[in-house]
Amino acid sequence: MKADFKMLFCLKRLIPSLLVASAFLSVSAQDSKEEPLPVLEKIDPIKLAAQRAALGDLTGEKPFILRESGWKGTINPGEARLVQIQLFRRNEYQFWLAMGDRKSELNLNIYDGEGQKVESEEITYDETNVVSNRVKPALTGVYYVRISLKTTIEDPQEWSMIYAYR
Amino acid sequence: MIKQCLIGVLIAGGLQTGYAQSPDRINLSDPNLVIVDDSVIPIPLEIFASLDKLGSQNWSAQVEKRDIVLDTNRSRTAMLFGLIVSDGFIAVQAEDKDGVKRMGREVLRLASVLGISNSVESHANSIITHAGHGEWDVVRKELDRTRQTAINQMKQQQDEELVDLVSLGGWLGGTEALAAVLKENYTLEGSDLLNQIDLVRQLKSDFNSLPKRARRGKLFSQVEKTLTHLESLMISDASGSISEGKVIEISLSTRNLVNAIYES
Repeated sequence: MKADFKMLFCLKRLIPSLLVASAFLSVSAQDSKEEPLPVLEKIDPIKLAAQRAALGDLTGEKPFILRESGWKGTINPGEARLVQIQLFRRNEYQFWLAMGDRKSELNLNIYDGEGQKVESEEITYDETNVVSNRVKPALTGVYYVRISLKTTIEDPQEWSMIYAYR
Repeated sequence: MIKQCLIGVLIAGGLQTGYAQSPDRINLSDPNLVIVDDSVIPIPLEIFASLDKLGSQNWSAQVEKRDIVLDTNRSRTAMLFGLIVSDGFIAVQAEDKDGVKRMGREVLRLASVLGISNSVESHANSIITHAGHGEWDVVRKELDRTRQTAINQMKQQQDEELVDLVSLGGWLGGTEALAAVLKENYTLEGSDLLNQIDLVRQLKSDFNSLPKRARRGKLFSQVEKTLTHLESLMISDASGSISEGKVIEISLSTRNLVNAIYES
């Protein structure tokens, strides 16, 4: 909880700086003809919700190491998506999935390369629009992360998923 | 009639609970499955973390100092960028300060040629600074950020083909180091980390989907041949292991391709 508050506080301070930097970069871009200046990545509030949920697991004695890569998309209620990923035995992985509407309810499960659901630990939060799952793959190989949106809401949802290993 | 109603109720109930509960099994050949396009390639550290749980490995032997001669072939430069970042991961695993700093400087040089230096500069500088202080956790994060930022910037610049080549180079560098370590210290348990056949298929498919102009020339024929060869080698037995002979062959094959990318 404390970590969440700290992060929000940092973000509040960071956003004006980013806007100033962005304005500075767009002015500078007019003077430079060598190389396009980077466009600052917009803060994705849905990814941020997943990252906030992950915070507690990225510190401590055996912290997970968060990957910079992730997945995102849009999903209709009652639909599912599969994400293919290579996992390695002896590692432990944790996935965090978030969607925009706070009323949305999600499922997040892991399947092996044959399509069989594997044993994993589902972690829920106070908000139902964020869910997490922790898995220790029995074998090295390809796995599928299945995400789905329950029919408790009507509108399609943007989603974002991140993962970490240890 | 009753039977039909009952079936209707069962189907409705099934859908209701189906959406609430995930199935125990999914049919992966179902044409209605929606598989997300974006692929995430594992970084070498993810794989090394697993191997290190079997005992400490001699990662220092995998840190190499190579000279890079650049040419105008952007596809090769993108693969080199991926290779250099993977070299950075290996140097971090070996806690080799000089190796990481050298790699940070090479990243800057290659990024400049690829037109993405403004995006990755801060990360590369951070890698150099924190490596000097031995702050490996920060260096690990910055390496992953360098790779991801480069990919994001390439996508923004509509250089999609380079993205796949950076990923391929990164995977190749990590696999070469992994196979070399396993070759020197073969164990059945450790060999399962090379069970990456689906990943190789995906990389090969991504590579073959690139426009021909992005993969023209002898080097890129070798890339295709090597990926096909690796596809035949990275098949595990029932226990998930890969034989020692195959590990040696994977090591040689990846080594030859890495050499060709650096030297061509």
